[in-house]
Order: sequence, then C-alpha cells, then structure tokens
Amino acid sequence: MADEKEIETTGHQWDDEEGYPLKEYNNPLPKWWLYSYYATIVYAVIYWILYPAWPIPGGEYTKGVLGWSQHKQLEEEMAASQAAKKPFNDKISALTTSEITQDSQLLQYAVSAGKAIFGDNCAPCHGGGGVGAKAGGFPALVDDDWLYGGTLEQISETIHMGRAGQMPPHLDSAEGSFTAAQVNDLTQYTLSLSGRSTDAGAAGRGDALYRGDAGCNNCHGDEGKGSLLGSAGGEKLDTSIGAPNLTDAIWLYGGDEATVKTSIAKGRKGNMPAWEKDSEGNNRKLSELDIKLLSIYVHTLGGGK
Amino acid sequence: MGQKNDSIATYDYGVVKMFSVMAIAYAVVGFIVGIILALELTFPELNGGIPYISFGRLRPLHTSAVIFAFGGSVLFATTYYVVQRTCRARLFSDFLSQLTFWGWNLIVVAVVITYPLGLSQGQEYAEMIWPIDLLIVVVWVAYFINFVGTLAKRKDPHIFVANWFFLAFIITVALLHIVNNLAVPVSITASYPVWSGVQSAMIQWWYGHNAVGFFLTAAFLGLMYYFVPKQAERPIYSYRLSIVHFWSLVFLYIWAGPHHLHYTALPDWAGTLGATFSIMLLLPSWGGMINGIMTLSGAWHKLRTDPILRFFIISLSFYGMSTFEGPIMSIKEVNALSHYTDWTVGHVHSGALGWVAMVSFAALYHMIPRLWGTTIHSVKLINLHFWLSTVGVVIYIVAMWISGIMQGLMWRAYDEFGNLTYSFAESVAAMHPYYFIRAIGGIVFLLGALVMVYNVYMTIANAKDRPVVAA
Amino acid sequence: MKHSTIEKSIPLMSILTLVMVLIGGIVEIVPLFFIKSTIEKVEGMRPYTPLELRGQDIYVREGCYNCHSQMIRPFRDEQERYGHYSLAAESMYDHPFQWGSKRTGPDLARVGGKYSNLWHQAHMKNPRDVVPESVMPAYPWLAENDLDYGNIKKRMEVLQLVGVPYSQEQIDNAVEDLKAQAIPDSDSDGLLARYDEKVPLEDFDGEPARITELDAMVAYLQILGTMVDFSSYQAQAR
Repeated sequence: MADEKEIETTGHQWDDEEGYPLKEYNNPLPKWWLYSYYATIVYAVIYWILYPAWPIPGGEYTKGVLGWSQHKQLEEEMAASQAAKKPFNDKISALTTSEITQDSQLLQYAVSAGKAIFGDNCAPCHGGGGVGAKAGGFPALVDDDWLYGGTLEQISETIHMGRAGQMPPHLDSAEGSFTAAQVNDLTQYTLSLSGRSTDAGAAGRGDALYRGDAGCNNCHGDEGKGSLLGSAGGEKLDTSIGAPNLTDAIWLYGGDEATVKTSIAKGRKGNMPAWEKDSEGNNRKLSELDIKLLSIYVHTLGGGK
Repeated sequence: MGQKNDSIATYDYGVVKMFSVMAIAYAVVGFIVGIILALELTFPELNGGIPYISFGRLRPLHTSAVIFAFGGSVLFATTYYVVQRTCRARLFSDFLSQLTFWGWNLIVVAVVITYPLGLSQGQEYAEMIWPIDLLIVVVWVAYFINFVGTLAKRKDPHIFVANWFFLAFIITVALLHIVNNLAVPVSITASYPVWSGVQSAMIQWWYGHNAVGFFLTAAFLGLMYYFVPKQAERPIYSYRLSIVHFWSLVFLYIWAGPHHLHYTALPDWAGTLGATFSIMLLLPSWGGMINGIMTLSGAWHKLRTDPILRFFIISLSFYGMSTFEGPIMSIKEVNALSHYTDWTVGHVHSGALGWVAMVSFAALYHMIPRLWGTTIHSVKLINLHFWLSTVGVVIYIVAMWISGIMQGLMWRAYDEFGNLTYSFAESVAAMHPYYFIRAIGGIVFLLGALVMVYNVYMTIANAKDRPVVAA
Repeated sequence: MKHSTIEKSIPLMSILTLVMVLIGGIVEIVPLFFIKSTIEKVEGMRPYTPLELRGQDIYVREGCYNCHSQMIRPFRDEQERYGHYSLAAESMYDHPFQWGSKRTGPDLARVGGKYSNLWHQAHMKNPRDVVPESVMPAYPWLAENDLDYGNIKKRMEVLQLVGVPYSQEQIDNAVEDLKAQAIPDSDSDGLLARYDEKVPLEDFDGEPARITELDAMVAYLQILGTMVDFSSYQAQAR
C-alpha cells in the first residue's frame, strides 16, 4: 500500500542534501477524523444555544435557552441538601441542647454535622478530634479540664462570643515588676501545687507572693484550682476569666519548669475568635444552628459533663 | 553535489550545538528541582527553614526551568537546525544567533537568581520581574527576525510545514508575553500588573493556556514534522491534514484559556467558550498525532531496532492522550472535580514529560550525531533511557490520577446525613503516599536523563577524536 | 485563495496567524471590561491598608498562590467548608489576582478572622505544631525580618495609577497608617477614618515593639474575605 502512494506526494522536497529528503503524501483527511471534528462543532453550537455563551453588543451576553447559571445550580444544590436535612434541623432548632442529647438519632445527626463544622473551622487550633496543640496553648477538648466550662451552655457561649485569656507578664513589666528570683519563687510554688517543687524554700516564698503582691489567687483561686472551680477569700471566682487549674496534670502551654517560668515571666494571651455571624453576615460563618450542632459535638468529645 | 555540500558546510551549527548542550543541562536541573519539590511535599521539613528553597519560591523555578530553559533551548536548537536545513540557507544573522543564545541564557540565570530571592510578580509561568520581561522581548524580537530572515532565504518557494508551526509559535508567544506582563514598575525589582481581579485572571490564563498551546504544543509539533519523517525515512502522511489541523489549531487554541477558571468569579459565558473551544480543539490536536503516527506506518519494523523512533511514537501517544484528557477536563462537570487537585498536575506532566520531554530527547538524539558529524555512542543506552522515561512518566501520572481524583472526591464526600465527611487536613494526609510515589516516578525519569547526559557526552567526546568533515 | 499562495508568503502567513490568534483573545477578554454584571456592585470593598498591602506583597514573594486558592466555587461542599462563594468584586483591587490554581492547602478566600493571631504565629513558625497533617513549609523568617516599608508610598502611587482608588490623603499618610495598624495602642483614628472603622488593630505578630513581615502577612490574611457586606449583595441578587 505504501509503495502505491509513492507517486501521490505533493512533489515538493526539502532538506534533500543529506539522508532521506522530506516529502509529503497528500492523503485525504481520515473520514473518522473529519466527522468527529464536525461532531465537536455541532456539540459546541448546541451548547451555545443552551447555555450562556457569547458576549453581545450593549454590555450583555447570550443567556442560553436553559436559563442555567452557576449560581442557580448552587441554589438548587443547596435547596436539595437543605430539604434533606430539614426534618433534623427543624427539631434541633426547636429543642434545647440537652433535649437533643436524649434523642439518639438526633444526637447522631448533630454529632455528624458538628464534626463537619469542627474539622475545617476548629481543628486547625484544637487539633483533629479536639486533641489540642501545645504550641500556642490551644486547649484540648477531649479531657475533663475546661477553662470556661464544659456544659453545653458554656461551650455554646464560648463559640458564640469567643474568649480572650489574659495572663499578665511578671518579669520587669509595666503591670508589676518582679525580679527573676521572684519569678523563680512563683514557678516553684506553681510546681508545688502539683507536687513537683524541687526547692521548698523558694516555693514557700512563692506562696506568699501568690496570694500577696502578685495576686495570682484572684484568678487562679486560693488553692490554685482555676477560675472555674476555685474560690478566693471564700467567694467563687468569675468563670469568664478562664484561668487554668494549676493543681492537675493538664497544662495549656506545657507544665515543665522552663515553660511554667516563661508563662509567669512573659505572660500569655490566649484568644479564641467569636464565631457568631455579624450583622453583615460575612465575618463569621456560623449560624445559630451551626453553633448549636457544634456545641453538641464538642460536648461529646469526651470531657463533657 | 558539490554545491549542495557547500550549503551544509555553511550552516551555522555552532549555535545549534550550544543550545542543544544547554537544553540537556537545563533538563537535568529542571528535573532535579522538580524532585526536590516533590520530596518537600512529602517531607515538609526538607527545606531546613531556608527561605530560598522553600516550596513557594522553588516551584516557579521548576516550571520556568523545564518550560523556558529546557523547552526553550530545545526549540531554539531545533528551529535553528530545521529552518536552515529546510531552507537550505545559513541563519540570517550570526550576530542575532549569538544574541539569542547569550540573551536566553542570561534570562535563565536571572530567573535562577531572582526566584529563590522571592523576586516574583506572582503570575504563574510568568513570575519574571519586569526587567527580565523586557529582556525576553528583546531576545524574542531578535529570534523572530533571525528566523524569518532565514526563511526568506529559502530555496523552495513553499515553506515547509514545520516552519508554519514555528512561525505561529514565535508570533503568538510574543503577543501573549507582552499583554500578560504589562506592568508599572515600583522599583528595579518590583512592579504591579496593570490588570486586576477578574480581568487579570482571564488574561493570565489566556497566557498560561496558550503558553502550553503555542510553546509546548504548536512549536513541538513543528519539531515533530521535521524529525519524525526524517528519522522514519518516510514522507509525511498527509499535506491536506497538515493544512486543516494547523489552521484549526491556531484559531481554536487561543480560546481555551477560560477552562482554567470554571466556576470562579469569571462570568459563565466565558467559561462556556473556554469549554466548547477546548472540545473542538480535540481533533485538530489529534491531526498532528495522526500525521506523525501514520508517517511511521510502513516503517513499523524499524521500531524494533530504532529506539529514537520508539521515543517519537511514545511521545506522540502521550500527546494524543493528554490532548484527549485536556478537553475532557475542560468540561465543566469534570473540571468541578479535577480543578485545584493533583489531577491537573498529573495532566500537565503527561504532556510535559510524556510529550514535550520525550519528543525533545528523540530530536536531540537525532540531531546531535549529525551536528558533530559522528554516530551516537550507544544505541543501547538510548533504549535504556527510553524505558526509564516511560516507566517514570507512568508512575508519576498514575500516582497523580489516584491522588487527584481521591482528593476531589474527599472534598465533596458526604456522610449519611449529608454532612461533609472529611476535613481538608484529612485530605492532605491521604495524599502523602502518592506524593512519595510521584517523587519516585520523577527520580526514575531523571535517571533516564542522566543516561542521556553520559551518552551525549561520550558521543561528543568521541567526535572530537575524529576528523571534522561531515559525511 | 489556494493554500499554496499562503504557504509561499511569509507576510501573508504571519498576518493570517496573528489575525487568527487575536480573534479569540479579543472576544474573551475585551467584554470583561464592558459587561456591567461582570463585577458585582457591593458595599464594603476598600483598598488594602498599607500594612495589608505589604502583606499581600509578601504572600506573592513567598509564592503562597502556588498552593492556596482564594476563590471559593459555587458548590455546596465549598459553601459548607469555606463560606459564601467568592465574588469578582472581592478581588478587583488585587494586582495581580490571587485566585490560584491548586489547593495543596485549603482555600484562603475567607480565612480572615477565622483563627486567632496567636494561631497564625504558631502556624507560620511551624505548621505541624498546630496541624500535624500539614505539608506546608515553615516560615520562621517572617517573624524575624523587620518589615521593609520604605517604598510604601510609591507602591500605593503605582496602584493608584493602575486603578486602585487610593486617595491622596491615604498615600500621604501611608507610613503613619502602617505603624498605627501594626503597633498596638497607637493613635489609629486617622487610619480608621481613611479606610474603615473595622480595620483590625492588633498585635499581629506577638511582638508589640517591632513591625515584622509577620505583622504584614497576618494583617493581610486576617482581612481576606471579610470586607463585603453580603446583605447588600443578596439584596441585589434578588
């Protein structure tokens, strides 16, 4: 077959000085190729008729007979998804959070929805599954230790308005200048609260500072149990302070001597953003329903009471 | 005969040799940087806290090294070789030839210095800061004059088909480069583009897609149109097909850019045009593959003995596959899944490694012994290179298909209540093994290139021992 | 005209090629400047403050766009994961656009306000300290490098030239405004009056005394996707 076509070249020849010269056959366009090409053109034309396609004079464009737009497509998608979730969501909105936790199917739904919200919004700080992150002092949510309370209502409040923890710096700062030795005393006392002090003398001096000049007890309580559980001078502390319990084995930034000393010397500023939608509906993306679902999920993470 | 030998003797092969050697060097550099990047994604601590080699600064270096340094040098070498031989004339101006060589390499060096320093204008495949952009314009104009000037000296009045593609490539790349890089300088190293937001996006992908279309497709098709018939010793299959698919390709390709912006804030109508023209582009793209593969028909038996032809045929196969995959991915529904994922990365590499790199290797293997008037050092090593390349590409693209499709599906997975199943971080964790496999694919491909380095080095070294006169 | 005529003439072939490639580009690009619905009319969009602008410059310098998109697509999963789909108006002051093309990391179009500054500080220092699955490089040098804002006025002038509506007053006060935003408890009335009363004034990098590159980067990230008043957009869509 090839030989027969030898005569059908176009007659032109290039680069014929060395090796085989360049020649061209003039075979017809392969039929399957040509018809497929036509088919794609037909496809395109039909597509243009059906969908938005061509800009036209007057600052407009052809809209297509189907009336399709990507935003309409989204609306339909969202409507279908909302419709499927509606039976659950209606009940969730109507019931209190504790009522929801009584209904096992509703609870299952809430945990599924809350987990989805948690994964992309909360896990970056609190870790996948709420294990927390020592760097930056992002609290674990899987234990029994809560800074602002672990009831459903307290969790919901925390998500709504966010939290700002303020541990002031103590080493040569404006708020209260203490010497390095004093900071060391405070560190030893703090360690003694969990039975880990290595210098009883320093811990003793730290004790005096704790409830004296440094006034640590005003936030952490007389016994160091934190603002949630502790009390100072016989009065319950304000639970919105969020001062951690210093007597247990759970540490926000790390409980080793060096880290504790750093916390006391330089202070700490924990900050959880508020997740409530603002009036413009854009700054925070969580709706009331979302926050409710999320609260229930966080409550189930392990530490919930 | 005497007159003909004269013209061979007067060709400027020097500049072709220089570009050929640099092409191979840049290939190795570009591949190594690619492998470092693949490993950085697998072991994110790998940059050791050094800003200059962090992923975000190195990735543009990789893309520029393979596209412009390697691909560009291959194109300079082959266009200069092909235009001389098909016009039977020496390059128009020795000065311009040297200017393009040193200018282009200066650009590459400038890129290698500026990108790691973080000097970037932040547009993909066009990160060069404005002074480098200007230098590119100068070199490109010199290239155009040199190419067209040589074409004007042709002996046969008909311009050979390879040169149609080269001409279209040079003209269109100039247009794309200038429009996309219009910017107002702030300082010698900084500028802001004149375009913003949605127009900036459209112009960037009009540029980006047609850098693929005209730099990596049209130009390399031109290369194919010369080297495949020459190596196969067969006439090109169909002149008529060349005409139809050339003009179709030139007209249709330029519209395809918006398919990079489906479901974004780019208006729906533009996306439709991008998608439909991409579909219409399928057969014109395949025209080149048909012309290449059918040219080989009748010479199939040569594939058993000629690994260079095998390189050509597999590169055309990857070309056919990528130009099929591309239109499929441009359909809005498919793009909804594939966009932003590793599928795109795999697609690009099946084109860039499977088509562009492999067809370049083949052309270089064809050209280098002729340039130095010798024979290749080892045909067996070409064969080894062929297998390493093929296996490397396949490992790479299969890993990216799996990870890309998995990624896309994980992002939109819902549980039985219709809530998102996975967090984004979970999808990242799932990619880990594939990132590692991809790096292995890249390493295998690099090994092939190193075999080539050795083979070419030995070929050139041997040639120097022989008399210079060509056969 | 027979093709042999074309293929014998360099000028003819060149001009025809140029015409062919111009058509598609012109039809797709030029209308974007004229079709009014292309960029939505919304309330709340403002040019970046000097500090945020330098943050975007660093975002570009570090090549963040290689792995992060800033373009939420109108899909159900993306709405649920990232928030409202991105509008063209939200990137109209971005030279160049930062929509990205790949999500090796998550979309950042609405990352503003989502996480605390403290998180961004920890995350930039070493992403895996807070997100163990992350493959993002660490950026410790952002906190170490002092921010270079020497040519901030020039930068804003250039942006003004290419269409960002900076006022002369904003340009004149660029350095003051940059410092006012980055240094806590400084006099920020001018900054708030010139831009928006909602401009975040925080200690972005955890080092109140210094203005670092991290200040600029975090200030930029914290504003992403927070400007548009969506109640105005929704009213217009209906």
